[in-house]
Amino acid sequence: MVALVVVAVAVCAHLGLVFLHVAPSNTLTKQHGEAVDEWVFPEFEQNWKLFAPNPLQQNVSVQLRAEVSTADGAIRTTGWYDLSAEDGRGIDGNPLPSHTQQNELRRAWDFFVATHDSDDRPVGLRGTLSEDYLRRIAVLRLDRNDAAGPGGVVERVQYRSRTTNVEPPSWSGEKVSGRPDYRELPWWPVAAGEKEGDAA
Amino acid sequence: MNGIALSVSRGIARVTGAALGPYQTAVIRIGFGATWLLFLLRELPHRHELYGPGSPWGHDLAEQLIADNGAFTVLMWSDGRVWFEIVYALAVLSSVLFLLGWRTRTMSVIFMVGVLSLQNRSVFMGDGGDNVLHLMSIYLVLTRCGQVWSLDARRARRADGARARGERVVDRAGPALWWVFGFVLITLTVTGGLDGDWFVPALLWAVWAAQGLWWAVGRWAGGGEPRILLDVIANIVHNGGLVVIMAEACLIYATAGWYKIQGSRWQDGTAVYYPLNLDYFSPWPALSEALAANGTMVMLITYGTVAVQVAFPFTLFNRRVKNVLLAAMMAEHAVIAVVLGLPFFSLAMIAADAVFLPTSFLRRLGGWAARARAGLPGRLPAGRGDGGGDGGGDGRTGAVPGPRSRKAAESDKDPGHTHVGFRT
Repeated sequence: MVALVVVAVAVCAHLGLVFLHVAPSNTLTKQHGEAVDEWVFPEFEQNWKLFAPNPLQQNVSVQLRAEVSTADGAIRTTGWYDLSAEDGRGIDGNPLPSHTQQNELRRAWDFFVATHDSDDRPVGLRGTLSEDYLRRIAVLRLDRNDAAGPGGVVERVQYRSRTTNVEPPSWSGEKVSGRPDYRELPWWPVAAGEKEGDAA
Repeated sequence: MNGIALSVSRGIARVTGAALGPYQTAVIRIGFGATWLLFLLRELPHRHELYGPGSPWGHDLAEQLIADNGAFTVLMWSDGRVWFEIVYALAVLSSVLFLLGWRTRTMSVIFMVGVLSLQNRSVFMGDGGDNVLHLMSIYLVLTRCGQVWSLDARRARRADGARARGERVVDRAGPALWWVFGFVLITLTVTGGLDGDWFVPALLWAVWAAQGLWWAVGRWAGGGEPRILLDVIANIVHNGGLVVIMAEACLIYATAGWYKIQGSRWQDGTAVYYPLNLDYFSPWPALSEALAANGTMVMLITYGTVAVQVAFPFTLFNRRVKNVLLAAMMAEHAVIAVVLGLPFFSLAMIAADAVFLPTSFLRRLGGWAARARAGLPGRLPAGRGDGGGDGGGDGRTGAVPGPRSRKAAESDKDPGHTHVGFRT
């Protein structure tokens, strides 16, 4: 009987807290938000706003270029690599897309955007972590593209995003701007220890 | 008044007397086990980039984040490549054994440790499918999900048969696993490997202690009252876990649905058009284009999706409507798997949906599987098929299995021993 009561209380408490976690901000979460977070994080986090409230209506394409010091001592700036397009080519016609193609860069970019202010300054620990993460993805991707060339070393990298509206459906009669919107991040130096991406 | 008291006592008898939904918990065990196994095999060539020491989400970055949130992962204990390979291999192995129902309770714990360790190591590599698996791997530890369709059930049947013939049945693997499990736990607790958030370590210790108690009572108290008490407690915990699993599935749909209602694109009936035109979610552009071409179709699917997601939790009160919606949702997830290129997310969602399948359907499914196996050449003599044996578990609905499904569990005589991992 005791066990029954304990389990019943635990089940109700867990479900109640998880419910408050997914519910919009409300009277109870304003008072007890900390208790809810305390219980839900780290293991019971839930993200179920799947394509909600609105699905993403833009294609965000993350692009990258680098400054490379070549074997003869010169500095060369590469062209832009469209990393999202590389992902897209990996996903096209693929019945089992990998998380490396579908989530890695896409979520790293979302993480960056969510943890930086409009002047690209990091907010908190997560902000700096997201920069380190993007920079290492850059090294990995440049390495895969052999961007440095023989004897070359990547010195600095720069990201930009190109956001294009999805053209509204033909039957809706809506018009949106077809012009892409760019966000260019500052150049980041690549630390010596990060240069050789060993993650290939 | 008398009527209320009577139904309350009947309810108590039900949730204490049996681990309900033996087929439903078995099918989700198989479903989530298979999802994780297939995912790990698919990502085998990318495992280092996702979770390994060479991941762009470096060990040092993960360490800083985990120091902040306390998430559980054994991959933080070392940034060595060998350790990573061991953990990955154990995750694969445990998902196979969990899926087959070998020492189910112990495997459910190792399965959970594998899921949490890899996912928490690189939390930004995951998506909704990983999130579902993460939660369900924890909840499944609470359930007796190996009562049917498992190697444990087969072993129990054979042991019963042997005992009936007067033979002595000795189990060595169970106690051995328990000692290993205990040794690892003690070592880790002493060396600080389990610092961080308290929940997962507490769960590990609780399961280990419960298994030890179960074994000790079985050994020294025979089949007497203490054993029955433990069995009742295990049933209650199982039934609580099952409620949480079902409520979690409802919460997923309710959240997805109710937030959609607030979105202008779901209101104007064009929402489904947009994901079909995102580069990351259109592996078959021609197919996506064909689907997005018809405005009326897009609107019907858009409205239908919201209606089904919002309505689903309420339909649990009506078996027939629930089953229709369940079929619709499973079908939609199958389509999503292909069209949006999210096979593992869809598989995880279908596995979660399966907890609501009616017992009669699941038993038929088990029958087909057994017949399919029988048709294969060179099969093993005694199948892993319908472990429920003679139990007539034709429950009324998956959500609330009927009284007869209790019989199914009871017909196993003592289903508990199948998952607690071992017996003497």
